[in-house]
Amino acid sequence: MKTSEIFINSAFKENSVWKQILGICSALAVTNLMLNSLIMGLGVIFSLALSNFTISLIRNYTPRSVRMMVQTLIIAAYVIIVDIFLKAYMPDISKQLGPYVGLIITNCILMGRAEAFASQNKPFESMIDGIGAGFGYTLVLLAISFIRELFGFGSVFGIRVFGSWWTNWSIMVMAPSAFFLLAMMIWIINTRYYKLKG
Amino acid sequence: MKDSFLYPILFMLILVVIFVGVLAVMYRSSEARILAYNTDVYQKIVLRLLSPAISQATGKSMDEINQAYPEAYALYVQEIKPEGLDRRAFKAVDSDSTLAYCFEIGGKGLWGTMKALISTTTDLQTLVDFAIVNQMETPGLGARIEEDWFLGQFRNRQMVLYPENKDDVTASYEFIAESQTPEHDRQLRRVTGATITSDSVIRMLKNEINHIFAFARDHEL
Repeated sequence: MKTSEIFINSAFKENSVWKQILGICSALAVTNLMLNSLIMGLGVIFSLALSNFTISLIRNYTPRSVRMMVQTLIIAAYVIIVDIFLKAYMPDISKQLGPYVGLIITNCILMGRAEAFASQNKPFESMIDGIGAGFGYTLVLLAISFIRELFGFGSVFGIRVFGSWWTNWSIMVMAPSAFFLLAMMIWIINTRYYKLKG
Repeated sequence: MKDSFLYPILFMLILVVIFVGVLAVMYRSSEARILAYNTDVYQKIVLRLLSPAISQATGKSMDEINQAYPEAYALYVQEIKPEGLDRRAFKAVDSDSTLAYCFEIGGKGLWGTMKALISTTTDLQTLVDFAIVNQMETPGLGARIEEDWFLGQFRNRQMVLYPENKDDVTASYEFIAESQTPEHDRQLRRVTGATITSDSVIRMLKNEINHIFAFARDHEL
């Protein structure tokens, strides 16, 4: 499979959120602001790419009985490395991220891609798959957070879009809005896009 | 070989040693830098909270004082360690006279503990300013307690409701919805979608202010 095909496949055709229903918890939790979603997405892309690469690199030596422990260890290590690096060299961004970095460890997409792709394919392809899956996840986060931030705060990326006449929709700031927006998104894509594709 | 009993154990052990080693080296090499940054941030908050009192005494603007960090901190701020007070405390000084106090306070939030700093007048009856130092609340919801509109509600509030009755130091603040306009000065706007966190802040302030005021009643600061 070509590199571009791997990317398109993991980012769109087999999108982790709308096709595989993975990473839902964080997709619900962090989508109230677009900046939060973007930062979370970048963290996931970085961790996914590197953990996929490493898991693939040692796949022929990894005993099957402990493979999930190995994958968890590698994912956790990369996430902690990102966390330490940000705290030391980008402290302001680290403060903005808050607990998001730690949340990446619990993201099902990382384990999902490690198990489904990285443990069976070559390192470079696995890294591309990780970048693609992270990109697809980030797109979903940004789409939901765009609607939530716009109607919940009247802004986009913190920049005020609606004037003072706008009354913020409190429901959009709260968790239930993420539930129904995500459900609608999954429904629309799965009933329209995939039906058209046959 | 991969199917043997020892291989998975040894493989896991080697992997753990490698990754823990990398993390330990990375953490130790960054520790001083992280600590220095955290100290700077903490001291800047202390100076900012004490700057209104310093400004009043020296005639300098608050911006001027804050921009002069770390020199201004060294000149005007002293850490005090009153015997029996189990938290960090600071005072703003100018020509040996105490201008204001700053205390580190803590409490429980929704997901974990919160750490904050409050500055008070020398009689401990007015809360001059308030800042959150550390919190683990939900970003975008509970974490919005760090926003200025929320913190600003606590500025220049009387901490002790009835100074003539030293036993009654409970502030009776009342929370209303974020979108509502306060009808009287004891009403504070709660962060939308963060009821527990907003309540935790007021509970932390009440408990800690009580504690400090009760301490100061019996001890010298």
